[in-house]
Amino acid sequence: MLAAEGLGKSFGANRVLHDLDFSVDAGEVLGVLGPNGAGKTTLFNLISGDHAPTAGTMRFNGNVLNADPPYRRAQMGIGRTYQIPMPFAKMTTFENLLVSAAFAGRSREGETYARCAAVLRDCDLIQHANTEAGKLTLLNRKRLELARALAPGPRLLLLDEIAGGLTNEESRELVELIRRVRDRGVTIVWIEHVLHAVMSVASRMIVLNFGELIAEGPPRAVMDDPEVQRVYMGIDA
Amino acid sequence: MSQTQPLSEPAVTVRTQTASGIVAMVIGAGLIATLLSLPFWAEQGTIRSVVELCCYIAIAQMWNLLAGYAGLVSVGQQAFSGVAAYVTFILAQNFGINPYIAIVLSLAAPAILAVPVYGLLHRLDGPYFAIGTWVVAEVVRLITTNVGYVNAGAGMSLRVMTQFSAQERAIGICILCALMLIATVGGSYWLLRSRYGLALTAMRDNPVSAASQGVNVGRLRFLIFVAAAVGTGLAGSIYFSSQLRITPPAAYGAEWASIAIFIVMIGGIGSIEGVLIGAMIFYFADQWFGEYGATYLVVLGVLTLFVALYLRGGLWGVLTRVVDAPWFPTRRRLIE
Repeated sequence: MLAAEGLGKSFGANRVLHDLDFSVDAGEVLGVLGPNGAGKTTLFNLISGDHAPTAGTMRFNGNVLNADPPYRRAQMGIGRTYQIPMPFAKMTTFENLLVSAAFAGRSREGETYARCAAVLRDCDLIQHANTEAGKLTLLNRKRLELARALAPGPRLLLLDEIAGGLTNEESRELVELIRRVRDRGVTIVWIEHVLHAVMSVASRMIVLNFGELIAEGPPRAVMDDPEVQRVYMGIDA
Repeated sequence: MSQTQPLSEPAVTVRTQTASGIVAMVIGAGLIATLLSLPFWAEQGTIRSVVELCCYIAIAQMWNLLAGYAGLVSVGQQAFSGVAAYVTFILAQNFGINPYIAIVLSLAAPAILAVPVYGLLHRLDGPYFAIGTWVVAEVVRLITTNVGYVNAGAGMSLRVMTQFSAQERAIGICILCALMLIATVGGSYWLLRSRYGLALTAMRDNPVSAASQGVNVGRLRFLIFVAAAVGTGLAGSIYFSSQLRITPPAAYGAEWASIAIFIVMIGGIGSIEGVLIGAMIFYFADQWFGEYGATYLVVLGVLTLFVALYLRGGLWGVLTRVVDAPWFPTRRRLIE
């Protein structure tokens, strides 16, 4: 479904991602790990179109994405959440979803109402449907990020540290929700520092360090990799 | 679009109108009817004042759409009002076209001018965009001042209007004012209640996030820029046609931008109600205190600064904190 070939990104002399090759199959959940500054969010920005790559190509369902702006990628079925939630603060929770469902989902507004209400129910946000998004708690903002990305029915979902800053209980609730999304056949790429959360859902993981891919494979095997333990957990073999 | 298993989606009800909105709509229709009846009972001076107020509302609402929703802070909208007004005078005076038809035809001019101007300026951010629009307005003013065909700096008079009686002129201008308010205020309301209103409001709140949710922010900004140019142009054409005279300093003066900014900031940026409140405040302040000249302008400036610093939502923002009764409801409320 998604394939990166020789992908690179530099900001001036600062090389953030270098010669990255990876792919994601349909229906798969890929976990992305790495220390701060490894280039994980930059990778998401390249996939969603917020940034343009300086090298390599990104393909989605066989089509090269490089020249497509973010709105077009959203319309292709790439949904994303942001590490720091970016809701439309003065719009209600329900209206936040309507934007996404109507524009990323390319639907008439009236046709999206039932679906958006269903997504709000699924994400346990229905009781806040008419609350301004700026007034939601952190957990509900995170849920809103996920709900808004789900509203248009994405094929690929990019989750950027969705469990960060949550309590164990809140994190567990969110993981249950992501499992339900996965079970409906949505392909997921998930950046996360809350390891038990991502490992409980991911079928495969990749690890980045200083913009380079250092490990790839099943979650347990990746975590047992001495190089991963050294750079990510500070454990010397 | 979705290739995933669908969620169960029972039908839901969404409410988009409120009692306050219906009351406001009735009052609005009454005000439009009153405006149309003015030529039959009001004095010429009153009609001229009301025409001015209508033009302020239209120009401010267009600026509100630009700055409040599209994030395009322009201080050069007078380029479009001036160009449209000059084209009206040229069509009517030099080509003999009925001046009221000329006003409608002149709207092509700001639309055509807006396209290259946006192409030139859209890559500029924030203050650079604002300065760019001001430069464009100044360039258009200087060009007009040096073109003999429009009588250069001396300006033009709309002498063809003498073919109409004072009451006929008043009827024509009042009808055009009513249409202008319906197009600018009513049109903005219709836009905000449409699917594109969702996109505009999302863009106002967070343009980066809006783009990631499928909104073509660039195209929407372009369309708003052109629409605002046309709306501003209509106000300029009507204003100067009612004055029967136009000169470059009057048509392209920076005070047009100042008035729009004052009205929107005082009333409340990003709301139609705020524009109406701000326009009324400016209109009455101008009527009552305009004679104090520079002192009056300084007070207006300080007032704008105070609102910008301490009352970001303007007076409408303060009102909505007390009572939730929008005149132009655009919210979609989910009723399960």
